[in-house]
Amino acid sequence: MAITRINVGPIHPSTHGVLRLVVDLDGDTIVKVEPHIGFLHRGVEKLVETRMYMQSPPYMEKIDYIAPMSVDELYVSAVEKALGIDVKERAQYVRVALLELQRIASHLLWLGGICNDLGQLFTAFMWVFRDRDMVLKLLETATGQRMFYVNMRLGGMVRELPEGFDEKTLEFLDYMEDRMKEYESFIEKNPIFIQRMKGIGVLSRKDAKEYGVTGHVLRGSGITYDVRKDNPYYVYKDLGFSPKHQTQGDNLARYRVRMMEIRESIRLVREALTRMPGGSALGMPIKLISPNAKNRTVAVSRENPRGEEMMYMVADPQRPYRLSIRAPTFINLAALNHMAQGSKFADLFSILGTLDLMMADVDR
Amino acid sequence: MKIERSNLIESVRSLKKEGFDYLLKVTAVDYVDHLTAIYFLRNLSKSVDLELEFDMDPADLWVPTIMEHHPSADWYEREMYEMFGIEIRGRKAKRLLLEKWDGKGSPLRKNFKWAEPYESM
Amino acid sequence: MDEIDHNSEEFMTAKAEMDRLVAGSLKGKEARPNVVFSNLSELTKAFSGSMVKWSRNNSLWPLQFGLACCSIELMNFGSARVDAERKGYLLFRATPRQCDVMLVAGWVTKSVVPELKRMYEQMAKPRYVIAFGECATCGGPWWESYNIVKGIDQVLPVDVYVAGCPPRPENLFGALMKLQKKLGGKIED
Repeated sequence: MAITRINVGPIHPSTHGVLRLVVDLDGDTIVKVEPHIGFLHRGVEKLVETRMYMQSPPYMEKIDYIAPMSVDELYVSAVEKALGIDVKERAQYVRVALLELQRIASHLLWLGGICNDLGQLFTAFMWVFRDRDMVLKLLETATGQRMFYVNMRLGGMVRELPEGFDEKTLEFLDYMEDRMKEYESFIEKNPIFIQRMKGIGVLSRKDAKEYGVTGHVLRGSGITYDVRKDNPYYVYKDLGFSPKHQTQGDNLARYRVRMMEIRESIRLVREALTRMPGGSALGMPIKLISPNAKNRTVAVSRENPRGEEMMYMVADPQRPYRLSIRAPTFINLAALNHMAQGSKFADLFSILGTLDLMMADVDR
Repeated sequence: MKIERSNLIESVRSLKKEGFDYLLKVTAVDYVDHLTAIYFLRNLSKSVDLELEFDMDPADLWVPTIMEHHPSADWYEREMYEMFGIEIRGRKAKRLLLEKWDGKGSPLRKNFKWAEPYESM
Repeated sequence: MDEIDHNSEEFMTAKAEMDRLVAGSLKGKEARPNVVFSNLSELTKAFSGSMVKWSRNNSLWPLQFGLACCSIELMNFGSARVDAERKGYLLFRATPRQCDVMLVAGWVTKSVVPELKRMYEQMAKPRYVIAFGECATCGGPWWESYNIVKGIDQVLPVDVYVAGCPPRPENLFGALMKLQKKLGGKIED
């Protein structure tokens, strides 16, 4: 058994980022995959210790840059829990609506990326960016920026939703549902796609628990654990959320879980917008905060589009003493070795695609 | 839940029998006179979270590995070694996790010397 | 064979005699430049020089070097709404051998610097570099981090800087047009 060692270098034409894979091959079959990470490490956890509480959201947003508002909201919730501040009810609905819109945009980019990796060469990519641009336009009218919206304050948001946001969003959601039918028609009925995704990268139920994977990887292997259902936050209980899962554990199962999640998010945004109560959604201005930390150590977890993200914070009066971030893609990548053994070299990229990596999240 | 370092493997094994078979995170905090290592475990079917903590002296930093019960602890422990300098005992190779960083010292300790204000390449 | 001593007297006198003989035989037979051919070659050189320059300036193929968040705006720049292809910035290749412009998007850490240099050296001249975003310009929000290079102009020569975090795709369009004007010799104020 002669082993060839190949280096899939840090710079490669893909959407996830800078990752080096050292692959041991026996012929065309993979024997071992070793990811080398750390090309994007910038020490966020140490930088946050030198800043005050509300100076850190820009750092948090750049951890997961495809869905920036999710990590920002997680950090702000951790600070709120430490200082003992409650979120107003209308602000809860607004946060849920914007977060689920963000989830649609993030899953769409994943879809374009995986079709790109499999060799479709920009067809689905172009379609996806057209739809994603519409979501970014909506979020731009609500917050003012295309990508890094620092829109959270302690207890609410920075500004109210503008007039006409509801109508434009509902119009977009109707358009998006037709679009999902188009996507499924040309992707899932393609026999080459099915052949490249079915039965590849199988992760059994027991292995999924042992290797500690999260998010859609866990739900694609048959375990229904979703933070929005099992440890609910904000108004998810009222909106009637049910997590989706599949049991096979291969690439196709993870793909299907994500497509079902997009549909679920469309429904959730519609519900949140129709049920939103009146009142004000503004949070506390920064100058009025008198931070006496009520709880010294806090642990909060949320359902990021990539998986379950958790922050553990040790709170000092003015700034966090220690912030520990549990990144979902970090531990999903650690399971790559187990998932890719025995498959061909070209399947490595389809497995990487369905894992939905984000290297800035891995390296922090 | 506060335990001692010597009870760690026993507790993890008995908790795994009770259904806490999912490891969330292994991390550490540097209070200046002692370090605290924290393990987050979860019971997936009942959705219960649990934290195990124990204190360590800065002069005596080591932790036994729990990899045989939870294979996902592999990368978490390596990250802890890299960032804090906590030695992991019981593993064969201690390859650093991060790539080619000219790391002198452990960044997340409080006595890590920051870079000077302008450091050119 | 004995070595020739180029400084001895014998050699000098022999050389002087040879020069005199050659000059005498060539008297009256100087080569007259061929007027037609030389003018035509000058004309084609001038014309093709400017044509080559025109075609190069209008088809700058970028090398995608998207490291981090700014790469998402780079992808937006290449796709349907702000179309990069209509001005010639076709084909975001990943191999440096076929590209003219290197768009460095995202923060650069000390681990990535050897790869950055290697990519730059593999590009064929004439080659240009655009620093896209704040992190590539000056280190950005990660100014105090221990692992970040504070601006890629410490490592590479940069032609155009684009500010923003992240810059809008229209900004990048404007930056590439500015690069074109710079190559054409006129920089707009």
